[in-house]
Amino acid sequence: MGEEEAAGMSTAVAAKHPYVEALLKGCTELPHSPLSWLDGRRAAALERANALTIPTTREEEWRFTDITPLTRIPFRPGRSAPRLTERDIARFETPEAAIRLTFVDGVFSPELSATAGLPYGVLVKNLAAGLETHCVPVEPHLARHAAFERDVFAALNTCYLRDGALVIIARNQDCPTPVHLLFVAAQKEIASYPRCLVIAEAGSRCTLIEDYVALGEDAYFSDPVTEIVLGDGARVTHVKLQREARSAFHIATCAVALGKDAEYASHTVTLGARISRYNLSVVQQGEGARARIDGLALVSGRQLADTHSFMDHARPAGKCVQLHKCIIGDAAHAVFNGRIVVRPGAQLTDAAQESRNLLLSGTAHVDTKPQLEIFADDVRCSHGATVGQLEQEQMFYLRSRGLSEARAHNLLIYAFGAEIIDRIPVPSLVAQLGRTVLEQAQTAA
Amino acid sequence: MSAVLEHLVNQPYKHGFVTPVEADTAPKGLNEDVIRLISGKKKEPQWLLEFRLKAYRHWLTMQQPHWANVRHAEIDFQDIIYYSAPIPKKKLASMDEVDPELLRTFEKLGVPMHERAQLAGVAVDVIFDSVSVATTYKQKLAEVGILFCSMSEAVRDHPDLVLRHLGTVVPYTDNFYAALNSAVFTDGSFCFIPRGVKCPMELSTYFRINTQESGQFERTLIVAEEGASVSYLEGCTAPKFDTNQLHAAVVELIALDDAEIKYSTVQNWYAGDEQGVGGVYNFVTKRGLCKGASSRISWTQVETGSAITWKYPSCVLLGDNSSGEFYSVALTNNRQQADTGTKMVHIGRNTRSRIISKGISAGRSNNSYRGLVRIGPKAENARNYSQCDSMLIGSHSGANTFPYIQVANHTARVEHEATTSKIGEDQLFYFAQRGIGAEEAVSMIINGFCRDVFQQLPMEFAVEATKLLGLKLEGSVG
Repeated sequence: MGEEEAAGMSTAVAAKHPYVEALLKGCTELPHSPLSWLDGRRAAALERANALTIPTTREEEWRFTDITPLTRIPFRPGRSAPRLTERDIARFETPEAAIRLTFVDGVFSPELSATAGLPYGVLVKNLAAGLETHCVPVEPHLARHAAFERDVFAALNTCYLRDGALVIIARNQDCPTPVHLLFVAAQKEIASYPRCLVIAEAGSRCTLIEDYVALGEDAYFSDPVTEIVLGDGARVTHVKLQREARSAFHIATCAVALGKDAEYASHTVTLGARISRYNLSVVQQGEGARARIDGLALVSGRQLADTHSFMDHARPAGKCVQLHKCIIGDAAHAVFNGRIVVRPGAQLTDAAQESRNLLLSGTAHVDTKPQLEIFADDVRCSHGATVGQLEQEQMFYLRSRGLSEARAHNLLIYAFGAEIIDRIPVPSLVAQLGRTVLEQAQTAA
Repeated sequence: MSAVLEHLVNQPYKHGFVTPVEADTAPKGLNEDVIRLISGKKKEPQWLLEFRLKAYRHWLTMQQPHWANVRHAEIDFQDIIYYSAPIPKKKLASMDEVDPELLRTFEKLGVPMHERAQLAGVAVDVIFDSVSVATTYKQKLAEVGILFCSMSEAVRDHPDLVLRHLGTVVPYTDNFYAALNSAVFTDGSFCFIPRGVKCPMELSTYFRINTQESGQFERTLIVAEEGASVSYLEGCTAPKFDTNQLHAAVVELIALDDAEIKYSTVQNWYAGDEQGVGGVYNFVTKRGLCKGASSRISWTQVETGSAITWKYPSCVLLGDNSSGEFYSVALTNNRQQADTGTKMVHIGRNTRSRIISKGISAGRSNNSYRGLVRIGPKAENARNYSQCDSMLIGSHSGANTFPYIQVANHTARVEHEATTSKIGEDQLFYFAQRGIGAEEAVSMIINGFCRDVFQQLPMEFAVEATKLLGLKLEGSVG
């Protein structure tokens, strides 16, 4: 404590929750930034982290997701990362993505990154370096979109905000190949706080792959925050792959701001982690913006996958299509809360949301809550939710075509997942994820 | 054209008048003495007093719930009169001797009791500020063994039945308002249909809050034994007062093997004025227990009144093959707020449930559907279908849906659908082309929107409900 005060951090008061305090240990000793605005935002986040507690199932937002297993492990921040080679991460590479930033336990690894030959108008850099050269475009957005006032995990991430990924696509520029942001977990009991900021200026286009992977099977904790800003008429495709280790914890926040006529497509695939939570919030800040929000959670064993999405139609004439699917095997548990709000005056909004859930075993469990809040009258909104097992009629149809019961079963599960996967615009990922769904189907059979 | 719609949604409350009847009223506030006073006034047995006191002591430990999507000033529970009974002018021997003031009230409401009872063949148990005043057709029902009386009479004449069932579906620990009700309930209806009896007529009660600042805490208990069936109707109106009145009722339904209970409500409590001043706070706990195999409980509600509605008629599907249904129309106008829906809790095998909810929001009102479908781990082959549609009239109202779906059995099938729409100008144009004015067109479109629910209402109620919606949305368009 004395050292921290000596370091001049005025907000170094004890956190309200002992676990938050443990996670924050050492945070205040990190060096200051030369940018006073960044220090200010970190200090504000620290103040919030100190005031907030780890959520419990008594809170509506966390009612079905019990994160007490997380609090039993004393995670510490990763200071240094082990040196990895290209071979260690070869299996995670995406051939289509010529541009890659790699982070190991949250620490930027230049030797595993590929940023040579960037197309004109495309900036892909680690955030610490980017702040030195591109402070002006970053300042209005960094830690401005992902609200941390009431979210302890977003606050924790912001407290630790030193580095991360920065992608800026200049006005009317097109990034022809996907940008791969790879976050590798290598050591156990490490808490990492990855950060991404993507600024797609007016009329620009890009495809991002935000990818969380692990080398081992040990428990660790990822608490990433991603902010994506789309200028007027920009188009961003955002693929988020969560393939963490099966004993890891992953609590991610993503905040997206859409300008006028912007188009955002989110493809989220959740495969790993013991407990995972994804908070995706999309705010339509300009008229006529469009969003497609796809999600697939494929869980088994005793995994828990929770997706909370929030589509905020704050301006008129927005369109949103959301499809969230869960395939739940063994004693796994899937949670979905999809909230769509149409603000007063957001006329001509067209929002459709569907939650489809497939239960593969007698002990699988799903809690789904599609939620509409509408304060404008000239809108078209709908939502639907279904929960069930494979249809007997469909099985019968395939059996009548000569498929064995096992093959029919696998094919139907594959088809259920493929609807989401096939829309990902990266062919190698489509093939890879298709195989993963099929493997899961086979083990569930 | 949208200005036309705005004018369409204003209709003064036609049931706002106060009947000056000399009331026997308890002092304001709530403490154990008031509960003893209520119990004493009603000459209740010791066990019931203890039930009330236990509930009261538990209530003291509870917090007022704030999770509902409604806003209101904090309720001062010490500023409410918990007991107020009209003093009858003499002992009642027949319908003719009912206080003529009361009868006039009901005539103004359009419920001529004799006519209604005789012509329509409806037995009406009239609740007037907490005490049952007149009961008709009791004899006729008694012939087939049905007990239909006020809760006070049931406690006096059939204490064993009340003791066995009271609080078994909604325990006093259930929620804040259920605990309050268990402590201070004054009266309500009791209905018992013995094994194998099909009730020969629709049973009906009429509730009315009269004394200003008297909360009404009625308690209804309906028990249908094996193979019995009953259809029960409840209608509500309240006169116009500026302060808000609290209404915290508890309704418990119990259906044994193969029994069927159909419970219909038309709620038209005073909703407050255009500025949201006054009106009833309607915080009700209604729950049915399908205890026996193949039992069936169906809720139908038309909610048009109350400043705030907070109500979730639910079914607990415990018996194998049992089924629950919920049909609802909730209309809010001006500053009304409604947070209503249902809970379907599937516990037994092959249980089925169906939810049809229609919300209409006009003016500056806010209308929420909040529902829960829970499939327990042992509910093999459970099936649920839910549909909740919203209609918005005017751009200042809000419509929300909060459906919770929790499934822990993979053989279950759950489907949920929700849509939001508005009355299109093209629709109104189409009507106008055919010589139908805007007002009538709106009424027809709304009635079409609500048809799935109205079809579930018994004939005379369906007529009343259709009229009520028409009245609520009637306006000044020529």
